[in-house]
Amino acid sequence: MKIVWKVFVLLLAASLLLAACGPQSGSRLDAVKQAGVIKVGTSADYPPFEYIDENGNKTGFDIDLMEEIGKRLGLKVEWVDMPFDSLIAAVQEGKIDISISAFNYSEDRDKVVDFTNAYYTSEDAFTVADGFTGTIAKPEDAAAYTVGVQTGTTQDAWITETLVDQGLMPAANLLRYDRADQAALDLKNGRIQVMLSDAVPAQSLAKKLGGLAVIYTGVFSSGPMNIVLPEGETELAEAINKILAELTTEGYIDSLAVKYFSE
Amino acid sequence: MNQFFTYIAQGTFITIAVTLVSLPFGLALGLSLALVYNYGGRWAARAAGAYSLLMRGVPPIVLLFILYFILSGRLLNLSPFWAGSLALGIVSSAYQMEILRGALQSVGGGQMVAARAIGMSRWQAIQHIIVPQAVRLAIPPWSNEASIVLKDSSLVYALGVPEVLRRAQQLSATTQQPFLAFGAAALIYFVLVFLTNRALDWLAEKTKLPTQHT
Amino acid sequence: MDTPVILQAKNLTKIYGKNVIFQNISLDVHKGETIVIIGPSGTGKSTLLRCMNLLTRIDGGQIFLEGQEITAAGTNEDRVRQQMGMVFQNFLLFNHLTALNNVMIGLSKVKKMPQAAAREKAMHELSRVGLSDRADHYPGQLSGGQQQRVAIARALAMDPKVMLFDEPTSALDPELIGEVLGVMAQLAREHMTMLVVSHEMGFAREVADRIVFMEKGSIVEQGSPEDLFERPRQARTREFLGKITELYGKKER
Repeated sequence: MKIVWKVFVLLLAASLLLAACGPQSGSRLDAVKQAGVIKVGTSADYPPFEYIDENGNKTGFDIDLMEEIGKRLGLKVEWVDMPFDSLIAAVQEGKIDISISAFNYSEDRDKVVDFTNAYYTSEDAFTVADGFTGTIAKPEDAAAYTVGVQTGTTQDAWITETLVDQGLMPAANLLRYDRADQAALDLKNGRIQVMLSDAVPAQSLAKKLGGLAVIYTGVFSSGPMNIVLPEGETELAEAINKILAELTTEGYIDSLAVKYFSE
Repeated sequence: MNQFFTYIAQGTFITIAVTLVSLPFGLALGLSLALVYNYGGRWAARAAGAYSLLMRGVPPIVLLFILYFILSGRLLNLSPFWAGSLALGIVSSAYQMEILRGALQSVGGGQMVAARAIGMSRWQAIQHIIVPQAVRLAIPPWSNEASIVLKDSSLVYALGVPEVLRRAQQLSATTQQPFLAFGAAALIYFVLVFLTNRALDWLAEKTKLPTQHT
Repeated sequence: MDTPVILQAKNLTKIYGKNVIFQNISLDVHKGETIVIIGPSGTGKSTLLRCMNLLTRIDGGQIFLEGQEITAAGTNEDRVRQQMGMVFQNFLLFNHLTALNNVMIGLSKVKKMPQAAAREKAMHELSRVGLSDRADHYPGQLSGGQQQRVAIARALAMDPKVMLFDEPTSALDPELIGEVLGVMAQLAREHMTMLVVSHEMGFAREVADRIVFMEKGSIVEQGSPEDLFERPRQARTREFLGKITELYGKKER
């Protein structure tokens, strides 16, 4: 019996000792430069921004962009993949240094994380299946239908705050999905009538699945796409912004858009 | 398409690795708790019981998030693999504690009395007489728990561990073939669970004590 | 008996909740003596036995083993129990160990004997009870009588000063009782100090040096088998013995 207690106390002491060794302090840019590696979080299930190819390698607009940024900063990029709605928390808790995952700027997100300058401006799109008989002349028209969005996206926030919370759309008509392709599938089999998402992936999904069409695009929930950083890391943000400016001037970002967005 | 399936199949190693961390960890912790519960005195038993109630009353994925996002970073800086595996181990330890304390009880008080009668201390009796018999009794329900932990290993996808389920999701997003992607994942899990159960059945047979009928 | 007193109980009392199991029981056991305790069920005979080797805590009184008070505070009870052997009604062999390992385990784990020496001694004890050919059988493969004999060997292996038997044959089929009583009789002949709780009147009559009749938690009468069977002083003793002898039958030599 005494031995069981001794072991228990030992384990407790060990875990408390480990607890004392917390994360390091100091500017993240310095830490990252010292390590030579930058941990970048992404959710590689979102073609054409980040997805995996048939060899299991990460590829996509965001992937290529970040690899180039890393190169110019003299850092190796260590990709950390996780479901999209875990990314913000991961940045906050310091599990990853930054995240690039087709993030649109939003005030809510800004409360807990910081953003770089925009590297791309995206549009929102409403996608429907063949045989859809309704009309969407303006974004608010979507309130009349059952709509699917990806959880944690700016589209999710927009439709919740603008339509559901204002009583313009019943909450039961809004379905949230972990991934965009899930929403697209439900759209195809009629479980939802409309899908609200980023325009570029929507077009890609529509093409791949067939039987779907993007019927409206505009900028109301989305807009600028930015890289997400932990709150207060201004030095790191500046370093990345400098590179983004270079890449825009050189036309590198435009060439990525051509590579991944025109099909 | 073949390369895609290779991509999912490679996640199998990680699935197995997660299980190989969480299951033994859960066993060590669960056995200690079961011993504390059965032999540790009233207050220790109550504490162990409360732990079991709490861990079994919360869905594993919730506990996974709590342990990963809130604990690590502030207290321990664990990688998703270790945080996820240990968190699963902690959840499993509660179920294993229940299995083992039942097994310990099934051995029967008489064995303890006989052991004390030849001068063994309580701890010697537990170590040499009770636990060896309890472990044999525990193998069938433990086999069930092993299957559960194997399947629950898929939950670490939420932490970004590149195991089978996460890879299947990515595949589904890229190929738009959810049935194939998740079907492949299901097949992998099924094979793993099947093999594990077979192995444990074999172990139960091998360690069975001979009776007059054998 | 004129050998020294090896085990002594003084004014023992045991209470469970509101029930007084026994009160102010005193008993002197001499070295080499065989005492058989008889009496109706539930009179505290087994409890008394289990108090002797401290398996059960007493609520009053003292117990002395070779003059040392084993009920004193701070006594190492495990040590005490190493010097007293106990045989149970339900045998209580360790199910996961062979007969040999059952007998050996006390030697190797408690007395910390080296393996070879422990094995040798264990085999010796097994042959003493006539079971050396069953050394690698598991309890599940042995008959009740065989299991009980292994249990006796297990207790003997520790070289106890006193052997305590708690209704050793009560759970056995009738045709198996003889083999166990035979072993016990042999032990008595070898002058092992034995305290036996039993219903076996034949055994008591022939093997005991002293018979103690207990009823309702106290000793009604004690004396040599001859005294008790031929000239019982108490009416209750006469009554009990009469009934029991009818039931079990007198054993003629």
